Amino acid sequence: MNTYYAANLLIYAGVDIIACLALNLQFGVSGIVNFSFIVFQAVGAYTAAVLSLPPDHTPGFDYQIYVGGYQLPFPIPWLGGAIAGGLLAVPVGLVVLRKLRSDYQAIALLVLSVITNQVITNARPFLNGAAGLASVPPPLSSQLDPNTERYQYLYIALTAVCVVLVFAVVNRIVNSPYGRSLRAMRERELAAAAIGKNPVALKMTVFIVGGVIAGLSGAILVGFIQLWAPSVWLYPETIILFAAVIVGGRGNNIGAILGALLVPVGFEEVTRVLNTNNLNFGPPGLLSALQWVAIGLLIIGFLWFRPEGVRPEPRRVFAGSPDTVEVELVRPA
Amino acid sequence: MDLYLAAFGFGLVSLSVIAIGAVGFTMQFGITNMINLAYGEVMISSAYVAYYVNRAGISIWIAMIAGAVFGAAFSFLLNRIVYAPFLAKGTSHIGMVIVSLAVSLMMANLLLPIVGYYSVSYQNSTGDLIRVGSIILTTNQIAIIAVAVALMLLIHGLLRYTRLGKAMRATSANPTLARNCGIPTQRVVDMVWVITGALCGLAGVVAAMDSDTFAIANGATFLITILAAAVLGGAGQPYGAMIGAVLIGLITELSAAAWSPQYKEVVAFGILVLVMVLRPQGLLAKRGALAAAG
Repeated sequence: MNTYYAANLLIYAGVDIIACLALNLQFGVSGIVNFSFIVFQAVGAYTAAVLSLPPDHTPGFDYQIYVGGYQLPFPIPWLGGAIAGGLLAVPVGLVVLRKLRSDYQAIALLVLSVITNQVITNARPFLNGAAGLASVPPPLSSQLDPNTERYQYLYIALTAVCVVLVFAVVNRIVNSPYGRSLRAMRERELAAAAIGKNPVALKMTVFIVGGVIAGLSGAILVGFIQLWAPSVWLYPETIILFAAVIVGGRGNNIGAILGALLVPVGFEEVTRVLNTNNLNFGPPGLLSALQWVAIGLLIIGFLWFRPEGVRPEPRRVFAGSPDTVEVELVRPA
Repeated sequence: MDLYLAAFGFGLVSLSVIAIGAVGFTMQFGITNMINLAYGEVMISSAYVAYYVNRAGISIWIAMIAGAVFGAAFSFLLNRIVYAPFLAKGTSHIGMVIVSLAVSLMMANLLLPIVGYYSVSYQNSTGDLIRVGSIILTTNQIAIIAVAVALMLLIHGLLRYTRLGKAMRATSANPTLARNCGIPTQRVVDMVWVITGALCGLAGVVAAMDSDTFAIANGATFLITILAAAVLGGAGQPYGAMIGAVLIGLITELSAAAWSPQYKEVVAFGILVLVMVLRPQGLLAKRGALAAAG
């Protein structure tokens, strides 16, 4: 187990944890079924990439075409990615979240995810189409050679800082009175509206905050893998994150972290172990196809046998209240 | 102008394909209250069933029936084995959407090792060309239009004039009341899955015929166009879906002539977004996509 392998594992884990925390805030806590989550991650990644790449006529980069190319120093691409994720959430949220029924919201977002991918794939001049962007300069690469062990530790540290930061933010939101409003909206929107909570405002805020975090996760990932193409953000990638949140425990931040480690990271590792030990069987592609089948089974299995997940959302009851029992009964299962 | 007339002709074919699929989808949703995101994958699976029957040397028009039978049987079993138990357990609408998306993902990936990545096409002569002014269609394309018209009339007759159709409409309007009136809603729902499954299978085969070659990835694109037509017409409304199919079919083909055929689904999606912003309830439905009151 060398440093590079460990760095790869830890950084993917960090990115997946950040993504799952954001999705948990949207889906687990607030009940917004964001089937286009991966698009927000992709926007963050593309933004970070074009902010750190040189213009596309620079020698060495001129085999691809893309907009921008600003060569900005380190923290700006990551911040830019996060901001782009948040900005995208505004128009999408305004169209989808205002009037539609929740199941229509879900299908609208799913269709958005499929179509966005299709458009970026076909429109080559924008972000280099299907081939995607390559040779994205890693952050701080002018100060420290990215091919050194020290750089790997640095990247792990940067990712870890972001994980802690995101966890602190979402935890603060979930455990605040604001988080209570979000849960109230998830459980019964009409009742939440009746006591003066504005569901559209709540949803929009959560959608934007989630978009910012998703954009950040994309920026971190693209800095590390140094390439980004439509094939890495197809809509099933969102389903993996849903599987993670469902397995971990909807509405529980620790559960989201656990889910991120069990599902995306776990599956990636199992496939890697099978591949390196030549345990590959059947026609090429069978293993990855079976992996998706397993993800589907995991979702259906958990929704059937343990819908609350491995770490269920804590029941929040008012300890001092004489009607504790009644309070529990009011909450629909 | 000739280009647009020709595109109008293709539009007639595409709207026929979309109409078959969208009516099936919207009836599933209207009567069983289930947004079945695996619909596109059932379509493509049926297209492959017809492909294998066709490859055994049987005419595509008979293979089409095999596709419909597969679609019907598969949809019925899918509901009985997966969806109905989850619904009986009290899973929310959103939970059901997630379940159906998981099913769709599993189907696509179980199919992949069986049929492979490559595009295939039916063995079928395209038929003679028939010209009406600038509109040029093959006899096959005209047959597709005829199949669609016949199916729409059948659905109309079923919903209007048969006991089953009335029971379906009653179940759609108010399942509890329908049950209390002595309608065996369970059996009605089973029948709905069989009928819409057959439509779904037919739509898959016809769509595959219309697009010359097809591959697994087409499942998702089929679903998008059908969703757009169903939502445009007002989800749950068979007649709405027919109108939606006419509009989406014609607009996407005309836009392909004016702009680029690569962006047909994007145009369909654009219409979907416009409908969701301007008239979320769709053209015909009273409530449709609007948030339920309570």
